[in-house]
This record gives sequence, C-alpha cells and structure tokens, in this order.
Amino acid sequence: MRHRRGTASLRVTLGIAAGIIVISLSAMGLQYQLTARALAARQAELLETDLEAFAANYQQRRIPALRQAIDFRSETMVPDEAIYLLQDREGVKLAGNIDGWPLGIAPEGARFAPDPVLVYHLPLGPGGTEIAYRGIARELPGGFRFLTARAETPREATLARLRAVILPVAAGLVALALLAGWLTSRWVLARIERINRLADRVAAGDLSARLPGQRPDDEFGLLETHVHAMLDRIEALNRATQSLSDLIAHELRTPLNRILQKIRALDAPGERKAELEAEIHATTRTFNALLDISSAEASSGTRPGFSPVDLSELAAELVELYQPLAEDKGLSLGADLSAGCIVLAERNLIAQVLTNLLDNAIKFCAPGDTIALSLHPSEARHLMVVEDSGPGLPAEIRSEVTRRFVRAERDRAVPGHGLGLALVQAVATHHGARLALPDTAKGFRIEISWPRLAD
Amino acid sequence: MQDTPRPAPRILIVEDDLEAAEALRSAALDLGAEAHLVDTYDEGLAQASSGGWDIIVFDRMLPGGDGIDAIARIRAAGSTALVMIVSALGRAANKIEGLEKGADDYLAKPFDPDELRARLRALQRRASMGGIDNDLAVFGALEIRMKARTVHVGATHVPVSPKEFELISFLARNAGEVVTRMQLLENVWNLHFDPQTNVVDVHVGRLRRKLEQAAGQPVIHTERGEGYVFDPARDGAGAAGRA
Repeated sequence: MRHRRGTASLRVTLGIAAGIIVISLSAMGLQYQLTARALAARQAELLETDLEAFAANYQQRRIPALRQAIDFRSETMVPDEAIYLLQDREGVKLAGNIDGWPLGIAPEGARFAPDPVLVYHLPLGPGGTEIAYRGIARELPGGFRFLTARAETPREATLARLRAVILPVAAGLVALALLAGWLTSRWVLARIERINRLADRVAAGDLSARLPGQRPDDEFGLLETHVHAMLDRIEALNRATQSLSDLIAHELRTPLNRILQKIRALDAPGERKAELEAEIHATTRTFNALLDISSAEASSGTRPGFSPVDLSELAAELVELYQPLAEDKGLSLGADLSAGCIVLAERNLIAQVLTNLLDNAIKFCAPGDTIALSLHPSEARHLMVVEDSGPGLPAEIRSEVTRRFVRAERDRAVPGHGLGLALVQAVATHHGARLALPDTAKGFRIEISWPRLAD
Repeated sequence: MQDTPRPAPRILIVEDDLEAAEALRSAALDLGAEAHLVDTYDEGLAQASSGGWDIIVFDRMLPGGDGIDAIARIRAAGSTALVMIVSALGRAANKIEGLEKGADDYLAKPFDPDELRARLRALQRRASMGGIDNDLAVFGALEIRMKARTVHVGATHVPVSPKEFELISFLARNAGEVVTRMQLLENVWNLHFDPQTNVVDVHVGRLRRKLEQAAGQPVIHTERGEGYVFDPARDGAGAAGRA
C-alpha cells in the first residue's frame, strides 16, 4: 500500500506539471510566432509603401524624380535601417546610401512591383557585421538599376528581446507548474489517503472505524459516504450473523436443556438414560463446533479479542495434556518446538485447533504409530506441522476434508462429527494463517503457518 | 469443616426458562441452600443488588437484558456474592467473555444436573472459605505444600509434575466433593471447550495411581458418570479432611 502511494503522488505531480508546462509553452510559442509574423508583415508593408512612393515619383518624372526621392531618403536613413541605390547603365551611382551594387545580386522583377522579394546579407553593420535585408533589385527602362531593401535588424532585435524574456518566464512556469502539481497531488492524495487509512483500520479488524469530521460536499465526500455506507452494511451483517447464532444457540439449547432435565426424571434404566444424555452432549458438541466455525468465518480477518499468545507454550501444554493418552494407546507423541513463537490470536481457538489435530491423530493412529508436532519460526510466519504415521487421508476426500461434515467412508465407525478440520480451517483463516495438506507417502500431515506478531 | 452448623447459604436464581429454573432450584435445595427464583433481568438485578446472597445464578438472554452485563452492577452495589452464569450461549468464546466480565463460573446449557451441583458446591465452598489460603493442606498423612508445590505422604515425597500439582490442589480445594472433567479442564488446563477424547481421565488416573501407591489407599475416587472425588479418608477412620 505505502510504496504505491509514493509513486502515485509523483505521477500526479509530474502529470499536472507537464500539462501546465506544455500548455503555457505552446501559448508562448504561438505568441512568438504571431509576433514574428506581425513584424515581418510590418517590414513588408514598409517596403511596399516605399515602392509605391517610388513608383509614383517615377510615374511623374522618371529618373530625376526617383533620384531626388532616393537622395531625400538617403539623408535620413542609415544603411542599418534601409538601403537605397540607383545606378545608370555604366554602373555609376546616381543616388543612394550605399556605394556600389552588392555582389551576387541580380536585378529581378518588373519596375516597382512588390514581388519578387530578395533576402540577402550585406556587411554593412557597425564594424562590418553582416545585416540581413529584405528588398528588391530591379532594372528600369534605359538600363538604370535600382535597389532598395529594409534591414531585418529591428525585427530580429525585437524577437531576440522576446526570446530573452521567454526563457526565464518558461523556467519560472516550469517551477510554478511543478509546485501546482505537487500541491494538487497532495490535496487529492491526502483525501484518498484518508480513505486508505480507514480501509487499513477496517482490514485490521476495526469494523466500526469511521472517518471523523464533516464530509465535504464533493466527489471525495461522496466516496467517503459510500465507503461508510458499505461499512455500516458489513457491520450490520456481521452483527446479524452474531446475533443469529446467539439466537439459534438460545432457541436450540434451551429445549435441549429441558430434554436433558426430563431424561433425568424419567423412570428408565440408568444405562438407557446415560445413552440419551450422551446423544444430547454429542449434539451439543456438533452444534458448538458449527457455531464456532461460522463465527470464525464471519469474522475472518477481524481482530477483536485477539491478544499476543505464546504458541510455543500453548503447544507444549497441549502436548503435555495429550501425552499420557497417546502413551496409553501405544503411540509415541513427539514435540519439536522452538521457543518464543508469538502470534496475535484468540488463545482458546488455537487451543481448539491443536486439540482437534491431536485428538484426530490419536483417534486414527494404531499402536506403534508416531505423532509429531513441530513449531518453528521463519521470516514472517511460524510454521506449525502436525504429522502422524497413521492411515492418512483417503484420496477421494483429500481436497474437501476441510469442509463441514466431510468424513471418510472407512471411518464411519470412528466417533466424530466431521467438523474438526473444518474448524481448523476456519480458525486458521480467521487468524490469517495458511493451511496446507501436503501429499504424503504415508500418514497424515498438516501445515499451518501463522503470521508472526510484529515486534 | 466447622462443627457449628453454618446458616444455610442463600442462592438467588435469575432464569426465565421454567425447566432450567426448576433444575437450578432443585440443585440448590440438594445443597441445603435456600433458593430464591426470579425471572426477569430487572428484578434479578434489583434482588442481587439488595445483598445478602452467597451465590447468584444469572441467565443470559433474559427478558430485559444479559446476565453478564449485570455482574459489574451487582459488584458496584457492593455485593460479594459469587456469580455463576448459566446460559445457552455456551461456546468457549462466550464462556471466556463471561469469565472476563467477572463471572466466577460459567455453565453452558444444556447442563447435566450433576455438573451443576458440582459447580454450585465448588462455589459454595469458595464462598465459605473466604479468601484464606493456607500454605499447608493436610489430609491425614497426605500433605500438600502450596508454596513449595510439593506433595508428601508421611515422610515420603511424592514427585508430581507442575500440572499434576495444579490438578491435586484443585481437587484438594474441593475435597470431599465431586469435581467434574469440565471443571478440571477449565481450572487446571484453562480450556473452555470439551475435547472429544477424555484426556482428563488419563491424567487423573496417573495421579491417582501415584497417590495410591504412596498412601497405600485410594485418594481420588471416580464417581461414575459424574467426575472425581478427592477424599483420602473415605475408606479410613471416617474423619473428614481438613483444609
């Protein structure tokens, strides 16, 4: 549970941050593109306006007017911003703010049409640095060559300033996005963690655990309400099961008691009466076992009434209890118990498991057989093994021997109610223990691994 | 016990089932006790709290309440009576719950009248002995030293295992009275359910042989179908053992 919480938190944090970052960087990228385009459009417009003016001059008085216009502009414009040049057919400069026709540029297009536009670099910047230009180069009637272009510098400078702003802003955004992601994930996961903690407490056996405080009127509040409703239902069912078995006990035992008292008052031979009494006691025992099984099953995984039990000590006591009986039957009952195997358990139920197993072993074994009980700790569990060299389980009931009332046909004559192993199974499950009935060449072997009590 | 006759013990029976109540009353009368019968929780609680009882027998699942919830209130009212729960809630878990909530004994229905009598007698004895716990219990030649946890017959030490010592001391505390197998399982082995095999018989048998060998006469007697009686003087001079 715990380790998954960490990765979920990281995932949510990164997911939210990535979302914010992608959206804001895209927005900034778009803004940059739009700005670059707007700047380019403005440059193109300036060039077009120039060309329209030159076209009008040329229309009026041809080259002299054009020359005058260029001279006028050349006075105010430096080559950093815009260049102008008008030459005659011999290549003599008539007007302009640059000296000669730049190499590598061939006149192209008709008179003052805005297209085609040429893009080129000229070393006209301060200290001879290259500057990008957008402009036109044309050959006018009479062999005159005319060139004008606008420097891209202002546009590039604006874009560079924009880029310089974008970078730190993007870095800040990433940081803010991570923070926002972290805060959101913390908030969301804290709400989920509340419910997880509740689930942990319930799993640990506290069916009456509920979340304290007001439930907010949102989806999480609704989830908590649903979880609470489920727990209420489970608790009610559990209580109903318990009170039903109490009721059954009351409604059956009270009449059984009346019968028993009446048997005593009967005018019948003592033997006959003892027989009837024994029947009633056997019925009660079966009945107890059934109730014990359903009670253990109903409360599987829950821990009320659990306390630390020294399994080693209890096992030793029960071996001591059964030792003389085994000896009298000519059986050898051996115990190999590691000390200090502590489990969280209901002592009485574990005692019932052990007596059921030892009872069975003694009941089914013949003189000369051996019975062994061992208990050893391992990493997370205490492994308890009861095995004997008796007749073992018939193959046909092996798989279902832990079900109620399942008994082997051959054992019909042996007293018992067929509930012993069912109770063992129910109690094991109740304690979170694992039960195994491994195949054995001879005899019977049962392994129960109890979860050890955390130190 | 004492030569001067003790006043008859007073037993309050709170039970709503007529048959059970009658069985309880007749067991109480057999013990020479004065029995008083009520059949609801509230009346039982009121009577129990009024005091003057030696033993209170309370049912559970009574009209009006559960007998084990009454125990604390009876104690709070200052009663020193011993409380025995007799109930149809007879699983081991129920018994342990009852004992943990302060019951002095817990008998499951259906009950054997003999079992009931034996338990009432044990309670009665506890009530009359009070809190006195002698270190030395002497039964003729047989001596039980409680602190040293040893058993002697005359000058001979009888070796007993720790469980056997607990067994003999429980039997000795109820000397002269029938003690049932269930009582032994509960008091000596702390087991509150009935194993299918009679494991207890084998233990008592071994202890009996040991003691008989040392004492030269039976010390523990079997009451057929009922249980055991610890009575070193039964075949002897007739004087009751003194605890």
